[in-house]
Amino acid sequence: MKTKAFKLLLKKELLDVFRDKKAIIMMVLVPILLYPLIFFGSMAVMTMIQSNMEEGEYKVAIVASDDGALKSAVEKHNENAKVEAREKAETESTDQGNSSDDSVSQKNSASTSANGIATDVLTLVDAPSGDYQEALQNEELDAYVTSSKDSSGKTVYEVYYVSSITNSSYAAGIVRDVVDELSREESKEKIQAAGLDADVIMNPVVYESEDLASSEQSAGSILGMILPFLLVLSLLMGTMYPAIDVTAGEKERGTLETLLTLPVSNREIIFSKFFTVAIIGIISALLNIVSIAFMGIYMIRLMGDAMDSMGISFAGIDIGKFIPAIIFTVLAILAFSLFISAVTMCITSLAKSYKEANNYITPLMLVVMLTGYIGFIPNIELTHTMALVPVANICLMIKNLLLFKVEYKLVAVVLMSNVLYAIVAVLILSRIYDSENVLFDEGKFSLKLFERRSNMKKGGVPTTGDAWFMVVFVMFAYLYLGSVLEMKYGFGGIFGIQMIIFVLPLLYVLYTKRSILQTYSFRKTKLMNFVAALFMGCGTMLIGIILTSFVSMLFPTEAEMVSSGLMNELMSDNELLTFAVVALTPAICEEMLFRGFLFSAFRGRYKIVVSVLLTAVIFGVYHMSIVRFFTTALLGAALAVIVYYSDSIFPAMMMHAINNGIAVLQMYHPDTMENVFPLFAVEEPGIMESIVVSTMGILLLAAGVAMFKILQKKKEML
Amino acid sequence: MIRAEHVIKTFTRTEKKGRKEDFNAVDDISLTADEGEIVGILGPNGAGKTTLLRMLANLLEPTRGSVTVETQAGVLSNPVEIKKNIGYLSGNTKLYGRLSVREMLTLFGGIYGIADDEIDQRVDEVVDVLHMEEFVDNRIEKLSTGQTQRASIARCLVHQPDIYIFDEPTLGLDIISSAAIIEFMKSEKEKGKTIIYSTHYMEEAEYLCDRIIMMNHGKLICNASPEELKRRTGTANMREAFYMIIEKEGMAYENESL
Repeated sequence: MKTKAFKLLLKKELLDVFRDKKAIIMMVLVPILLYPLIFFGSMAVMTMIQSNMEEGEYKVAIVASDDGALKSAVEKHNENAKVEAREKAETESTDQGNSSDDSVSQKNSASTSANGIATDVLTLVDAPSGDYQEALQNEELDAYVTSSKDSSGKTVYEVYYVSSITNSSYAAGIVRDVVDELSREESKEKIQAAGLDADVIMNPVVYESEDLASSEQSAGSILGMILPFLLVLSLLMGTMYPAIDVTAGEKERGTLETLLTLPVSNREIIFSKFFTVAIIGIISALLNIVSIAFMGIYMIRLMGDAMDSMGISFAGIDIGKFIPAIIFTVLAILAFSLFISAVTMCITSLAKSYKEANNYITPLMLVVMLTGYIGFIPNIELTHTMALVPVANICLMIKNLLLFKVEYKLVAVVLMSNVLYAIVAVLILSRIYDSENVLFDEGKFSLKLFERRSNMKKGGVPTTGDAWFMVVFVMFAYLYLGSVLEMKYGFGGIFGIQMIIFVLPLLYVLYTKRSILQTYSFRKTKLMNFVAALFMGCGTMLIGIILTSFVSMLFPTEAEMVSSGLMNELMSDNELLTFAVVALTPAICEEMLFRGFLFSAFRGRYKIVVSVLLTAVIFGVYHMSIVRFFTTALLGAALAVIVYYSDSIFPAMMMHAINNGIAVLQMYHPDTMENVFPLFAVEEPGIMESIVVSTMGILLLAAGVAMFKILQKKKEML
Repeated sequence: MIRAEHVIKTFTRTEKKGRKEDFNAVDDISLTADEGEIVGILGPNGAGKTTLLRMLANLLEPTRGSVTVETQAGVLSNPVEIKKNIGYLSGNTKLYGRLSVREMLTLFGGIYGIADDEIDQRVDEVVDVLHMEEFVDNRIEKLSTGQTQRASIARCLVHQPDIYIFDEPTLGLDIISSAAIIEFMKSEKEKGKTIIYSTHYMEEAEYLCDRIIMMNHGKLICNASPEELKRRTGTANMREAFYMIIEKEGMAYENESL
């Protein structure tokens, strides 16, 4: 790499990105404004909640001909509450200069005192109409209390309240505190009257504790949860925008070809872009840290006392102890920014435009965010395996550093693995940039869905982008909606799942104006193609039987669960209905998705072998079972080959229906099946049986393929 | 001098029924353009002109065949070295809108290998030649179409290349802007530079070119001077000559496929 050209390229990229207002907003304004906004926003919400609690005054009625003990206890409570509130307010107003924060803290202290006991005032009232229950429901009253004596002579105070009304349930809580206090007072009096030491008898066992965590450890444990997540997120947000700008943005603005006219190597171009993104990511991460630090200091000053009372003290923290953590955190930011820049660029360089790139990057954001939450989960340790998991390793490492649990070997693994992943991603990126398709082609990867509908051209098959989108989309729908449907409607739910598989791709095809006939290979085909398909299908089924028994040996418990589960799910009282739902519907719906939509899309881009394999693997995965994976994938491959040779989906549909139909017949008539088709009824085959059955299967398969080849040659001769 | 020998560029396109098929966008073309020569590439849309020019400029690698550039320093075949001697301009070579013209020229000049202490002087020269004084320090996104086109030309000549490759440089420009470009090409030719350019404007090609190369369906169908073309087809101007040749070729093409 020539250094001069590289430096100038880097300068050009940086200048270009820095001149963009959007980039600056994302990089500088977001971190500087975001944290204060979050902080003051949450403060404002808290204040609103507090002020809605009617300043801590609750109306309570006492309905009893009692001796007034409760009444005097309430008055005593009110007295204490007022004194405490006043004291609290005084100490806080001397602490704080800012008057607006004052009002916040006063409201805080109105509801709870420093040691957490409610200090709200209970106002004793008479219910206006005498109907206490109605007064409660109308919120004229927050609670009322009745009293009675039980058989042993104890006084029972019963509180009536409405739990769905916040003030009412809160008032009931305070009444309980007052009654508890009253009970203690009376016990004390009685014990003293008996001439005993009340304190010793009432509190014979006392709990005391001392927290040996240093101030640094307490602070670190809080920071360790939040900081990694914020850092990872801010780095992602910081790199996302420039990554899109230098890749898809450049394509959209049409400067890519200009760039390629320059006498520089691909590697220089890629590295200049990569470092631009990484540098901006680092700057934005550092700005985020500074912003968080300022907010942190401000928060500690504001809420220092409250923190103290929770046992967290920030006073006397020795910042010096955090220096190793700070140094390694900065190193981690550097390593992670390299990693995340390369990964985002790999994704964005597949897109042609900003909009498209944004859509591609969303899943990455979700994955990074979810992985970033790992810092919040207690007891997940940074192990040697964890140190290799991207994102998670950085989060756990920073968390550990802040908890002073540093194992330098692991720190090295984390840093190195991030750099290593970055290198791999850059290599992939250079392959993408070498591929002329991505640069000059329309890009077959693109998702049709996100184009303007008026720009979509009619006809053709979906792109591979569309296919992958559909795979993910259908899988999600299948997993979530499917299980709900099945639980709610049982057998009908299975039909519902098939409808999902049928309707979603069809809507997609219609919306993106693809050709239905081409996408689904709805073409007439010769009768002989059906015969050849039958041969291939039967061969596949025979091999499938041997494969299943082999896989069952490897996963015996799984296999047992699957076969009994399938029987339960798929059998109904009506054999014809079962046949329709289990054999016919999937033959149509699944074929249309897998051998229609997906296979056609793959064939538009990949070689035929790759397309068949992809279709097969996806079909296998879709059946959601390791035991069934191999057989279903094999069937999927065979069906794809049938579509390829016959140039029509119908023979594949027929074969799919026969395959599933035989399974249905086996469920209902196991004995007849064994007599008519002994081969299909083989269970737990021995070695000889296995060899015979699989040889026959392979022969049938070969015969099918040969027939297809002959048919194809004949067609070409014509 | 730039030379292409039997270059072929194969792309894959999706045919009916989703089958993939290879086709040659440029199909076995050999050509040479000498110093002080303007070679015009003509042909209908989709003939493969842009692909050919991109291969000549080393933006695309030929599937087969080779492109070499010969300068006083000898024969060059390294893409990076070739690019240093080429000024390439097409409808797809947009400029970085957020940079000023001067910033762009300085950066590009540096990347082309102009020494740091010479670059400012060189940029001033270019600005002077193309009369860009009044907008040289403006951001490119703020310039008018004509000004942008002049800035594009400045980008092509800042490194004083021996060869210019222009893909439809006058497309969509007004008469004054395209006249400026035509005059520019003429003056560079007089300086002994090699110029290869594609156009759809027959009169322009007739006026400028020493030699015309016509392409159709990726193949070279003729390579001759404008005069010779007119003489061969018995027509009075290039427009008629073009129609005649393409028509004949089209028929030949159909015959071939039958």
